[in-house]
Amino acid sequence: MIDYKIKTLGNGLTVVVHQEKSSQMAAVNMLYRVGARNENPEHTGFAHLFEHLMFKGTTQIPNFDTPVQMASGENNAFTNNDYTDYYITLPKENIETALWLEADRMTGLNITPEGLEMEKRVVIEEYNQRYINQPYGEQWLCLRDMAYKVHPYRWATIGLSTEHISNATMDQVDEFYKRFYNPNNAILSIAAAYEPEYMFELAEKWFGDIPLFESEAQNIPVEPEQTEARRMELTQKIPANSVTIAFKMAGRDSINYYVSDMISDLLSSGSSARLYQSLVKEQKILSAVNAYITGDVDPGLFVVTGQVLPGFTIKEAEESLWREITKLQTVEVEEYELEKVKNKFEANVIFGELNVMNKAMNLGFYTMLNDLPLINKEVDIYRSISKSQIIDCAKDLFRKEISSTLIYNIEK
Amino acid sequence: MIKQQPNITSPREITISHADILTAANGVKLHKIDCTEDEVMRMSFIFKAGTRMQTKPFTASTTANLLSEGTQSFTAHELAERLDFYGSYYDVSLDRDYVVITFCALTKFFSQTLEVARQMLLYPTFPQEEIETYRSKRQQRLLIEQSKTSFQARTLFSEALFGKGHPYGVSSDASEYLNITREDILNIYDTLYIAENCFAVCSGKITADIESGILELCGAIPSGKTKAHVEFPTPETTPTVFQQHDGAVQSAIRIGRLLFPRSHPDFISMQVLSIILGGYFGSRLVHNLREERGYTYGVFSGVVNLDYDGYLAIATEVSSESTKDAITQIYHEMNRLIVEKVSVEELEMVKNILVGEVMRILDASFGIADVTIENIQNGTDNTYLNRMLSEVFAITPERIQEVAVKYLDPDKFTTTVVGSVDPF
Repeated sequence: MIDYKIKTLGNGLTVVVHQEKSSQMAAVNMLYRVGARNENPEHTGFAHLFEHLMFKGTTQIPNFDTPVQMASGENNAFTNNDYTDYYITLPKENIETALWLEADRMTGLNITPEGLEMEKRVVIEEYNQRYINQPYGEQWLCLRDMAYKVHPYRWATIGLSTEHISNATMDQVDEFYKRFYNPNNAILSIAAAYEPEYMFELAEKWFGDIPLFESEAQNIPVEPEQTEARRMELTQKIPANSVTIAFKMAGRDSINYYVSDMISDLLSSGSSARLYQSLVKEQKILSAVNAYITGDVDPGLFVVTGQVLPGFTIKEAEESLWREITKLQTVEVEEYELEKVKNKFEANVIFGELNVMNKAMNLGFYTMLNDLPLINKEVDIYRSISKSQIIDCAKDLFRKEISSTLIYNIEK
Repeated sequence: MIKQQPNITSPREITISHADILTAANGVKLHKIDCTEDEVMRMSFIFKAGTRMQTKPFTASTTANLLSEGTQSFTAHELAERLDFYGSYYDVSLDRDYVVITFCALTKFFSQTLEVARQMLLYPTFPQEEIETYRSKRQQRLLIEQSKTSFQARTLFSEALFGKGHPYGVSSDASEYLNITREDILNIYDTLYIAENCFAVCSGKITADIESGILELCGAIPSGKTKAHVEFPTPETTPTVFQQHDGAVQSAIRIGRLLFPRSHPDFISMQVLSIILGGYFGSRLVHNLREERGYTYGVFSGVVNLDYDGYLAIATEVSSESTKDAITQIYHEMNRLIVEKVSVEELEMVKNILVGEVMRILDASFGIADVTIENIQNGTDNTYLNRMLSEVFAITPERIQEVAVKYLDPDKFTTTVVGSVDPF
């Protein structure tokens, strides 16, 4: 359970606060409702490149990191397909330093053409490090490309290609900043030992006079229903064959989102889970296996993936994965197993709420979903899921015609 | 609108919960930190059973990882079910010196989790079939790791620092997994998982029942004979190592030198020096390689402490074409620390970063256990942190330069590169 108070400032900035009496640290989280989903398909990777630029200084504060570090703070950020998140933790006495910095870079960002060029090089090296110079590194680029044809989830936050990054211009930077980095497109969440009223006062003090700017709403194209199995095979110098199957699943606001999440737990949460026990331990077909959901706001992907041991073909591995997942369509889950995944979900929520940073970040996330009370309801939702809901959801989920399969073959 | 920068408070000392020490009849010490209102607890059991204790490749990690794969009362599957059903976590971590076995649980499920811990620590059976499954699984995982340039560079760097045959430098071919026998495992378990080699740390909400439960388990760990001290071979450092990796678009670079074990008087100053060089975002190396030149997404330097030695390591992945200059720049930044005094402002900032880092780790009730474990491994206790901080705050620019002159001599360094271009 997280107690919180929420308020909207005159300029549209949403402020959510949680009082954490025992902590010496304060966490300040700034979420902007902009992610890779908002990008122009010709200029992908831009939201993430822009996140990097947010650390390049403003007219008033030329170096963002120095004051954070002087205040014994630590800061970072991440971009995903749905939103961009900036966070700072620091000793609670220095909370205003974090607010001063976040307010300042909401209005005063000062990017030079040289600064942009240098940051493009850094992001291209990030691209190389994460997606090119790794075994199976391009997996997510391929899966998204296969699974989505229209929706912007078809590209990863890093972008469709390094060319898209190197083509970014100063005009695009200005336009993006103006359009998305506004108080009414942002959520400030704070977890610290202070009284909620005091934290609201601080928010008003630092952000209250930033002018309101209404940007026009953006229509995100809806992905048409997939009607045919998709498949891609790569042959590379890699040490093991691998199979990955991605299924289209329900969006964040559907009950089937939770049922799908529970199905992924039944399949692979903890080493007692089905896929590991059956395919790694008993049948010894795979050396590693996983099932997870991407957790996107719009309909995302349910992913099943495994690395094949020598002695088994890719076909056998693929069939074994299908056997396990389709069992959920016909055989009712036992009471014990259902209780197990529900307990584990609840414990994970408790373990996940042990520090101020996670709390502030979660408050921002659920506010972004436009359903903040949900933050304290998910355990109950999970607890309410029935055996028949699991069967129905598994039937809906594990269908060849909504699947995209990515195979890695060892180059002989 | 220009707004005045808020005043900054720089904490000069921190509050850390004291660990109560309880001693079981067999001599195992339990360090208890009762520190939260949250209904969670963590217990860790630390054995001096890291990779340097093994005589055959991978046997130390295999023993640690197979504790959960079958015991007198439960099969591997049953153990996994018993942890998962109550939402408890189980984790094994292993370095050159130590194995740390950790359980985290909601306090309401403590006794069920303790029972699993008892079985795993006291009555593991290491079934043959589980050994075989484990070997092929881990062999493939290692092969995947070994195909990454960063992993190759890390392995070659340890070899280059210590020498191939040295317990801190040795690495092995993945095929060695197939030579592990059940006797190897039993031998390690019988000789190393003993009371004389063990201590335990618990943190979170520790009630009287929880305390007595863990202490009882500590007391049941069998006594044995500690191994006679083996003289450590003298490390032999190779100055440069290059490994060709065709098609790599980046080079993995590791640069470093041998330093000293955990207890050395220059240890704290060297840590501060390493933070200035590459220990935070905006450090000299990040500024040079990332912000000024765009060669890399990240670069890091750190001091690693072992029981019998220690080293400084700088790690980065840079674009292939910049490899040669990146190495030049890294040595250039080290040289700057030798020839120029660090400014008072920069040193002040690094001190503030360091205290913030400690506060962040201590803020979560599980993080404090990690700090406690490290302090005990270093032969001290949690009072060390404030002593360390007062030593840190007393460090002057002159002292940093003195340590730089002493330890950043390029002739003592090794440079390891894996990539498509040979920079040497």
